[in-house]
Amino acid sequence: MFWKNSKKKNDQGPAQPSKSIADLLVQLETNPDFNHFCHKSKTLTCWISYINTVVDLEYIHRDLLPALYSERVQCMKDIAQVVPIDKLIETRDLSVIQTSLLDGYFMIQPSKRSQHVYLIPCPKKQARQVADTEVETSIVGAHDSFVESLETNINLVRSRIPIPQFKVEEQRIGKLSRTRISILYIEGLANKANLNTTRQRITDLETVSVINANMLALMIGDNSQSFFPQFIDTERPDRVSGALYEGKIAVLVDGSPSALILPSTIVEFFSTIDDYSLNWPIASLYRLLRLFAVAFSVISSSLYVAALTYHYQLVPKDLLATLIVSRSSVPYDPIIEVLLLEVMIELLREAGVRLPTKVGQTIGIVGGIVIGTASVQAGVTSNILLIIIAMSALAAFITPNYRMATTIRLMRFPFILAAQMFGLIGVGLCFMFFVCHLLKLTSLGRPFIEPIYPMRVTDLKDSFIRLPSNMQGQRPLFLRTADKNRVNLHRTMQKKGKAKPDIDE
Amino acid sequence: MKQKAALIAPLIALLLLSGCLPTSIIDDVLLVEAEGIDYLGDGKVMGTVSMPNYAANPNPGSGGAGLPTTASMLRHLSGVTYDGKSLVDRFQPSGQMPLRVGKLRLMLFNTAMAKKGLYKQIDLRNRDPDAPRDMSLAVVEGSCRKMLTSADYQTQIPVARYIQDMIEQNSEHNYPESTLETFMYAYYGDYMDPFLPIIRKQGDHIEMYGLALFKGDKYVMRLSENRVFTFKMLFQKFSQGVYDYEFAPNKHIALKNVHTNVNYKVKNGNSSSPDIYASVNVRAQIRQANPGSISKSTGPGMEKKLNKHMAKEAVQLVHRFQRKRIDPLQLGQHVRSYTRNFDGKSWPERYPNARFHCKVDVTIRQTGISE
Repeated sequence: MFWKNSKKKNDQGPAQPSKSIADLLVQLETNPDFNHFCHKSKTLTCWISYINTVVDLEYIHRDLLPALYSERVQCMKDIAQVVPIDKLIETRDLSVIQTSLLDGYFMIQPSKRSQHVYLIPCPKKQARQVADTEVETSIVGAHDSFVESLETNINLVRSRIPIPQFKVEEQRIGKLSRTRISILYIEGLANKANLNTTRQRITDLETVSVINANMLALMIGDNSQSFFPQFIDTERPDRVSGALYEGKIAVLVDGSPSALILPSTIVEFFSTIDDYSLNWPIASLYRLLRLFAVAFSVISSSLYVAALTYHYQLVPKDLLATLIVSRSSVPYDPIIEVLLLEVMIELLREAGVRLPTKVGQTIGIVGGIVIGTASVQAGVTSNILLIIIAMSALAAFITPNYRMATTIRLMRFPFILAAQMFGLIGVGLCFMFFVCHLLKLTSLGRPFIEPIYPMRVTDLKDSFIRLPSNMQGQRPLFLRTADKNRVNLHRTMQKKGKAKPDIDE
Repeated sequence: MKQKAALIAPLIALLLLSGCLPTSIIDDVLLVEAEGIDYLGDGKVMGTVSMPNYAANPNPGSGGAGLPTTASMLRHLSGVTYDGKSLVDRFQPSGQMPLRVGKLRLMLFNTAMAKKGLYKQIDLRNRDPDAPRDMSLAVVEGSCRKMLTSADYQTQIPVARYIQDMIEQNSEHNYPESTLETFMYAYYGDYMDPFLPIIRKQGDHIEMYGLALFKGDKYVMRLSENRVFTFKMLFQKFSQGVYDYEFAPNKHIALKNVHTNVNYKVKNGNSSSPDIYASVNVRAQIRQANPGSISKSTGPGMEKKLNKHMAKEAVQLVHRFQRKRIDPLQLGQHVRSYTRNFDGKSWPERYPNARFHCKVDVTIRQTGISE
């Protein structure tokens, strides 16, 4: 029923492409923000059109129009000489005219319906100021983050990569939205196959609109059914430039404050930029901590279910009393208890995110302290479980990447169900299922869990641990970069010369 | 489509049938912590099982609200059954909740039971995948039932844990380690015999009362407490034991061994009287000494005395074993490992004639903070 209606509406056809410039102008003229007027002076008569909400009006009034109205402009040819502009496009192509007008170009026609037009770019971009990072905060690293404007974002990256080999390719995606998308890479570093795959996936995309980079990531991902994000999204220009120097490819979407890094491996989702500003043993320890947190977060509540439902043998004897006493007043099975608390935590988190920041904090306190304590005292959950759930929620938030953190939070539910069904064997089966899935997963056709399988020992230098920078001389093997060495290995690996005694003979 | 159905159908079956799996939710089962078996004669035994009784923590706010449901649980059950019957099955009809054996920590046998033979009990445990291998076994001088059900102990913790903690703690000191695993190893192994600690109730507490030495599965000999150090010294390397030596009437010196190790060498393993050489190294500190009995000058002399005394004790100990034809020190194993083409069949006949030589080397490392 709904389909029929919508089809009928479509038949009336507001989306009919314009056949000629006259059609286009007629179509645009209905908009109140479209200016289309005739300029008549002694020397020149022309038609001027622009959409005043997307052009820089100040520039037009201050610079363009006075120059155009001056007597020095005798004919259309003079515009380029007289008017202070860097670029004048002369075209008859209707599609170019249409997109330019809508992007904020100033159009000059010799006559009202002339196909031959002159276009002057004067777009006005409403963009937020470059602000502090909010999703991936860093303590000691850079604090600027991407904004919604493509130009600003490219500027942020380009200022970090001041070399001519740095390339920006622009494409337009979305049948209606024609969103601008930039592919960033360093020529001579980025693998050609990776680059071609990226280009192909973006150009082949059949979509009406692209709203943000994460949406694009889902559309061009290798496996859109997967729980796991296959490309890192980041709001940090320094992270993007670091990835580009490694030989990766970045994709920016106009209107989206995050960049995609292609291809990515799973371990990169757990590294932060702060890792690189710390001494390597400390950074490695923090990475291991994060890894442990992930394992704990995924496994802990399911192990609780398995141990308390089937494997009472595993509980240490001194913990037994604590567990039994705290569970003695709980009327439910462990699985119900766990699901209850897990759902509660998820509700709290969702409420905290959706509510305005100031109320959100209150929700956290109310939820965490009041509900937690009350549910234990009411005998609905045991206090041991409350600790486990709270810790695993905390551990899940440690993951630096938001999309990966979501995955990890949700991953525990299949584990809990499997633990209830088969105990530890169930946990093992579920784990195997996820491992199999990860083994099959690719990112831009490259294996997703690369340093682990296929085993690449050299790539382990910057995975679970981060080795010192003098051992980071090679770019990641898995990227198959055109230049595999970051530095002159011969010089970094050079042994110190033999110490010679001061006094000889 | 067919493939998908073939994948989904078993998943649904698993989901629906998983409700049929028997669960042992931790607070809905009775965890048997100790079993005691008293022999009544004529193949009948009096079995006792003891379950922990976890009362809720009386601190407000830390426990749940409402009645602590575990506080009113059964604490022990006893009844007559035949030897070798699983006590969990025996008492299931009287259990308020399913009884589970997976946390069993202690099996007690009274001396009559141990003398009659434990092979049925051992076989039962050997078959049971649920029972832990590291549980403690012990022989009780007196009645197991009384020991497990008495309420007049000084301690508030469950008696099963009390006993097990005591045995475990002692096996880190003077007593050799004995669990179900080591017992079964010695019982089923060739050329060796098992042993267990003996415990007894003394008024309002329980104490270790030497070692019960078995011939096969039968208890044949008690090793008194002051010989246990010598036994353990010959059995395994260990530390933290205390050896009391009365070097003159009413004059004692006590050593705490920092480390003790033993090496065996065997000659003429296939002869009718093999020679077994044990060399023991004891590094010790003086824990207690008769005032004035030990100093820098008298130290070496005391060491020599100790060497002689301990070696003599060790030889006497082995002679007693040989007379009883038991081999709890697993000397037969040492002989076998030192002898090419070891003649195992005749070993039981040759064992009593074996000559045991022991050399002890005591080194006093420290005499305490005062000179």
